Parts: sequence; structure tokens; C-alpha cells
Amino acid sequence: MAGDKKTMTLNLTEAEMAVLEKLSLDKELSKTAILRQALRLYQLVDNRLAQGDTLFLEDKEKKNKSELMVL
Amino acid sequence: MSDRSITFLKDRRTGELVEAALIDGVSRQEVESTESAWRPFLMNSLEERRRAGNSELSPPEHSHWDWRRKHEAVRGLIAYRMFGVECDGAMQGLMLVSTAGHPCRIKEQKGKEQVYVDFVATAPWNSPSLVEISKFSLVGRVLIATAVQLSMEEGFRGRIGLHALPQAETFYARNCGMTDLGNDKRKEELRYFEMTPEQAAAFLR
Repeated sequence: MAGDKKTMTLNLTEAEMAVLEKLSLDKELSKTAILRQALRLYQLVDNRLAQGDTLFLEDKEKKNKSELMVL
Repeated sequence: MSDRSITFLKDRRTGELVEAALIDGVSRQEVESTESAWRPFLMNSLEERRRAGNSELSPPEHSHWDWRRKHEAVRGLIAYRMFGVECDGAMQGLMLVSTAGHPCRIKEQKGKEQVYVDFVATAPWNSPSLVEISKFSLVGRVLIATAVQLSMEEGFRGRIGLHALPQAETFYARNCGMTDLGNDKRKEELRYFEMTPEQAAAFLR
């Protein structure tokens, strides 16, 4: 089902690697899968922002919304 | 990029399994020809029924979906994948899924990644709500199995989620064995269903 894949070497700082390892553990996914998910989400968000949309985070219980700043 | 593999549907006329093509990465051209075949069949069926005064069957709830627009809306976005099942020279079903942005809701797997089925539809001539005897069956099952398979390949262990149209609720609950999490106020009050890895394994068995 998957298409051809390319290989790349990635250099991360200790802090970045720690985040990647924690996400990998929490989500029960490989580090590659985490980075793939991050790329998919980043493209989705970037695409919507480019169309003029705004990204909000909502707290259902407190019923408040806050705008997420994406630089 | 499009990929084809072999799958099987059941021909309702003969009761036999027939070979079909599972398409990963349905092209714009394939979507165009699908709409060109599905739309007139749907309109003709509705018109025939109206003239015959047959009010027992109701049109599929997804009959207003415009697959050209859906295809265009997700063009170039790597989180989305469109699948199709082709048999007998025609598209028998289409499905659009996303692989990011829909974390699981069931308590035991809350926040975990899953494949979310945005849209899935069978051709109008396969829809029991439109025709008395459908042409092919197993289309929905093949497409949902494809979503589960994709989920496994992505490392999501078969977890999938979707919002069901009322006509399809029984299919997801009984045939697919998914957990019903009730109506979702954020999604037109549609019922939300989710599949766990254990349910996925049972479904594929």
C-alpha cells in the first residue's frame, strides 16, 4: 500500500530527541512514524493557515477557546 | 501515485466471488468517470421510483456527496488517502481516509493515532437503500478492511474511527464490531464509532 521511500539522516539536539522519544513512548509509535505524523499535521495546519483560517484550541470543560499561534 | 492490488467482491446475481481491483490513490480521472456513472444511475433510479410510486426505498444518505470536490480539497495533502474498488469496468466504492489529526476517543486508547474514515460510499447500484437487488456486495467491508490494514501499516495497530450516517450505523456496530460512542454534537449529531486493535483483529479474521 505504501509508496517508494527515501532515506535521510536527521540530526537532533538532546532536547528534541527527548521530545521525540517521549512522543514515541506515549503514542506507541516508532520515531519515524512520529515524524511522519508531525509532517502530515504540519502540512494540514499550514495549508489551512495559508487559506486564511485560524487555529484554535478548545477546552471542552471550561468551554473556552484560545488561538494557537503558528509562526 | 496510484497502486492496484487484487481483492474480491460478491456478485449478487451468481453468488460467486469475483476479482476486483483495490486502488490506492484514486486519480482525478477515475473520480470524474465514477461521478459520471454514479450520478445518472442515481437520478434515473430516483425518477423511476417516483414514477412507480415506490416510496419504500429511500436514496442513500450520501447521494449528495461530490467526490470531485473531495478529491480536489485534499489534493497534495499527505494526511489523506483515497481508495477505490473497481470491478466489472466500473468503480464499485470509494473511500477517503486521513491518517493524522483524529486521535482516538475510547478511554483505553485515548490520544493514540488512528486512521479516520472521512467518507466511504458504495456505488448506487450496490446500495440496498436504492435498488432491490444490489449488483455487488462486500464493497463496504473491503473498504473498511483496507482502512484497518492501512492503520496496521502505519503502526496504529488497526485502530480506526468514523462518524456514521444513520443508514450505516448497524453495519459498523454489527458487521464491523466497532464501539459506538454515541452522537457527536460537533459532527451533525452523527454517531461516532471506533475500532480497537482487538476489534480490528476480530474483524479481519
